[in-house]
Parts: sequence; C-alpha cells; structure tokens
Amino acid sequence: MNGTLLKQTIKNNIGLWLILTLVQAFFIGAMVMGGKTPVSMTAMSYYALLPGLISAVYVIVTGNKLLAQQVDKGTMAYVLSTPVRRTTVALTQAFYFIGSLFAMFAIAGCTHIIAHRLGAGSISGDEVKAILLINAGLFMLNLALSGICYLASSVFNLSKYAIAVGGGIVGAMHLMSLMAKFNASFDWLKSFSVVTLFDIDSILAFSNQQVFSMTGHAAEAPDGTAFILKFCVLAVIGVVTYLLGSTLFAKRDLPL
Amino acid sequence: MNNVIEIKGLTKDYGLGRGLFDINLSVREGEVFGLVGINGAGKTTMIRHLMGFLHSDSGKCSVMGMDCWSKSAEIKNAVGYIPGEISFPDVKSGIDFFKLQAEYMGMSGISRANELAERFNLDATARLKRMSKGMKQKSAIVNAFMSDSKVLLFDEGTTGLDPLMQKVFTDLVREEKLRGKTVFMSSHMFDELESVCDRVAFLKEGRIIDIIELSKIRGNERIKEYKIEFVNAEDYTSFLGHSFSVKRRQDEYRQVTINIPDDDINELFRVLSAFKVKYITQKPQTLETYFLEKYQRDAVTNTEVSQ
Repeated sequence: MNGTLLKQTIKNNIGLWLILTLVQAFFIGAMVMGGKTPVSMTAMSYYALLPGLISAVYVIVTGNKLLAQQVDKGTMAYVLSTPVRRTTVALTQAFYFIGSLFAMFAIAGCTHIIAHRLGAGSISGDEVKAILLINAGLFMLNLALSGICYLASSVFNLSKYAIAVGGGIVGAMHLMSLMAKFNASFDWLKSFSVVTLFDIDSILAFSNQQVFSMTGHAAEAPDGTAFILKFCVLAVIGVVTYLLGSTLFAKRDLPL
Repeated sequence: MNNVIEIKGLTKDYGLGRGLFDINLSVREGEVFGLVGINGAGKTTMIRHLMGFLHSDSGKCSVMGMDCWSKSAEIKNAVGYIPGEISFPDVKSGIDFFKLQAEYMGMSGISRANELAERFNLDATARLKRMSKGMKQKSAIVNAFMSDSKVLLFDEGTTGLDPLMQKVFTDLVREEKLRGKTVFMSSHMFDELESVCDRVAFLKEGRIIDIIELSKIRGNERIKEYKIEFVNAEDYTSFLGHSFSVKRRQDEYRQVTINIPDDDINELFRVLSAFKVKYITQKPQTLETYFLEKYQRDAVTNTEVSQ
C-alpha cells in the first residue's frame, strides 16, 4: 500500500462515490422516515432493486478508472517511474475499491437504522440485524462484482475493453437477475447470475422478519441460513478476482 | 568505467517483423547514448524494457546491475524518465504534479523543480489541462531532472519544444553528463543527438544496424569535403583538369565540391594559389549525412543480395 497513491486515488474517485452514497441515503431516508415501514417492505421495494443498480454504476466506472484508464491514457507511467511497485499500485487501488464499497453500505445501513428509529419511533434488535445483514449482503455482492471489474481493468490496456468486459458482465448479471425476478419463465437465468447470491429472503427469515414474495403474498418460509453459504461464495469470487487481477497487473506488459 | 546500462540479446517479437531482435549494447557511466531510427523502428520498445514496463521474450537488460524487470521498482530510485507520450495524473497545476512526484520519490522538496522550471521559462503554476504541447513537454522534462537521478531515460524528450528550448535542453543534458549522469535518449532529430551524444545507435526494423562514435564524425574524419567557387570560368575549368576527386560540379556557378584526404590538403592549396578563388568552405559531415549514406548503401546492398 502506498499512502500517496491512496490519497490521489481517493481524490480522483470520491466525487462519484459521494453522489451515489448520498442518493442511496436519500432514498432510504425518504422511504422509511414517513412512518412505520417494516424492514421486509423496504427490502422488497428498495433493497431488491435500487442499491444494486446504483452501486453497479459505481463499480463499472470506478473499476475502469483505477487501472485500465490510467494505462490507456498513460498517466500510470508517472507512478511507475517512481520506486512504487506495480503490486503496490494494484493492491492500493484494490484497497480503495473495497474500502469505498464497504463505507458506502455502512453509511446506507446506518442511515436506514436511524431513519427507521425516527420514522417508527423504535427499532428492535432483529430489525437492526436484518438491516445490517442486508447491507452486508450488498457489500459482499459488490465485492464480487467489483472484483470482476477490477480484473478486467487490470488486464486491458484500453478503457473501452475494460468497460465492455467488466461492465458487460456486471450489467448482464443484474439484468439476468431482474428478468428472473419479474418473469417466472426466466427463472433458469438465476443460476447464471451472482446477483441472486444476494439472498434477501433468507436474511429476512434469519432475522425473524416477515417475507413477501414479489406479488405481495406471503411466501413459503425460506431457508434462514442459506445466505451464509452464498456470502461465502461471493467472498471467494471477490478474493479470487482481486488476487488474480493484482497478479496479472504486476506481470503483464504495459505500453507506457 | 562501469557499464550503467546493459542490454544482452534483448528480443521482443510483436509479429510481422515488428519489435526488437537480439539487441546488444552497453552504456558506460557518464555517457550520453543516443538512439535514432524512423517511427516504428523500436526505440520506444527498447526504453520501455529499460523501465520495466515490458517483459522481453528473451534476453536481458539491466540498469546499474539491477535487472530491469525483476528489480523495476528499485531501479526507479536512480532513474529519471520522460515518456514518449505525455499524459499527466489528475492534479491541478504543474507545481502540484511536481509535488506529487516528489512525494512518490520520497523527496523533501521541489526546489530543484522550481529552478528547472525557471530555466525552461515554464510557468508551473498553470493548470496542466490548459498547458500547450510545449509546456507539457517542459513539465515532463522538469519532472525527469528534478530528482537528480543518476540515469536519465528520454523517449523523444524534446518533441514540441521550440529550437531555443531544445538548446536549453541539450545544454542541461551536457551539464548533467559533466556531473556524472548517464543518459539514454531516443530521437528522430539528428542534430539534437549530434550535439550531445557520445555514441549513437541506429535502429532499423528492430535491429541495431550501426553504433557510431560521434567524435569520429565531428570534423575528425580523414577525408573531408570542400566546396570551392571560382571567380572566372577559365580557372574553374583549369582546376577541374587536376586530379582531385570531384563529388559535384555546378558549372553555371563555377562551383565544385571535392573530397580530399587530410594528407593532400597542401597540394590543394598549392593548386589553388594559382587561381582566383571566390570562396572555399568545408562541409562538415553530419550524423544525418552519415546515416543517409549508410542507409542508401544498405538499401543498395540489400537489392543486390535479393537479385
């Protein structure tokens, strides 16, 4: 890790991060502050859709900016003409990426808890658990998706390829998950998308919250522990893609 | 003296005859080494190997005894670099850029950068995005020199500079050489290399076809070229009657260009003393003429071989 580079990376990426984090906080606040909104309601109408798409924008844009764009533009030459190792560059960028996503959902989770407390007048331990686990789930999902974008960003010399591949995969996974959610005949798409590994129903069941299906009817009781294994799968995807990306970036030819 | 830069059997094949093929050369400490060749000859590829940005297919290169690939970060403590394409990090002004780079280098301040900026007449407080090509190039030059690195690698370091600033640059390179710096620079401008380099390698299609000591070209060649103009036509014709090796005749101007070995120079003066000479001038051999002749000769040899 290099402090100077980290500072520089934060400076260059904080703008988009701030806007998207504030948008999420605003949405949660607006939904929950008005009155008693059960966590499961927010989960169905908000968490299942919006944060994933908002963070996808951040993941795709930032992923490209962290490595590929700097190689493409040639600015990377200046960091690498100083005694900073390529591995250090790669790991510093990875640290920023993961850290910024963690902060994004930590803020979203805290905002939800505070807003719930203010809107409903009280909040139970189970509700706090559900909110924190849902946001942890979003973080894990984005750990995996950002890892994919990071990997794409570390192997391509041109921004356009990094965005096409990284963004293409992330976009496709969100799209497949959405199609499966809204149309039963596309249910089979689920198995191709890591987005479905973010299992809100299981988290809600685990936290003793009521679970609704998409149609609003009470669904059959989901497995309250299934999400744990799915978190692990997301974590593995994240760790593997980040490690692979860093290694490949340190070893490949750079046209600088 | 020690070899600061060492390249052994360096090969990087990009296919279709592009890349570098079996490059061998070494640059001594305190030497200014030039690399010349047309676009696509492999100059940038060679410098990128020295910077550890590219991994060779085979062969090795090292700077100060450290392998350019495996020790690329360590080497940077001793290397200043001007990339072929200037694109600055996302900071506001030139000063901010120097400060950022100084921080990466672990330098305490940017006083030397300020001195250099003044020397190049560069307003480093200007916004990087608004800078002209020349200003950007100057900023990149200042950055390369400011850390007082022992080895300097320039990939066409003066592109975009006006002739006045090119002079400032070459003066600076000469000063740094006197301070013991080793310089490895590519260029397609012969006169720039000619004025500062000790040796120049000529790169063609990824291969070094010649390495020339510039002291051998700088007026030290044994056969020199003289151009003489005569006042009247009789003297002109009469002079041509002597057995000098005539390179070019311009009858309408009564001008003749001859090649003559240093040993015969007194003979020339003896002959000329009988004539009314308008002027005599020696045409120095330049790096450019040297290589152009060499290039043409190679081209001829190649055609002969292929026939």
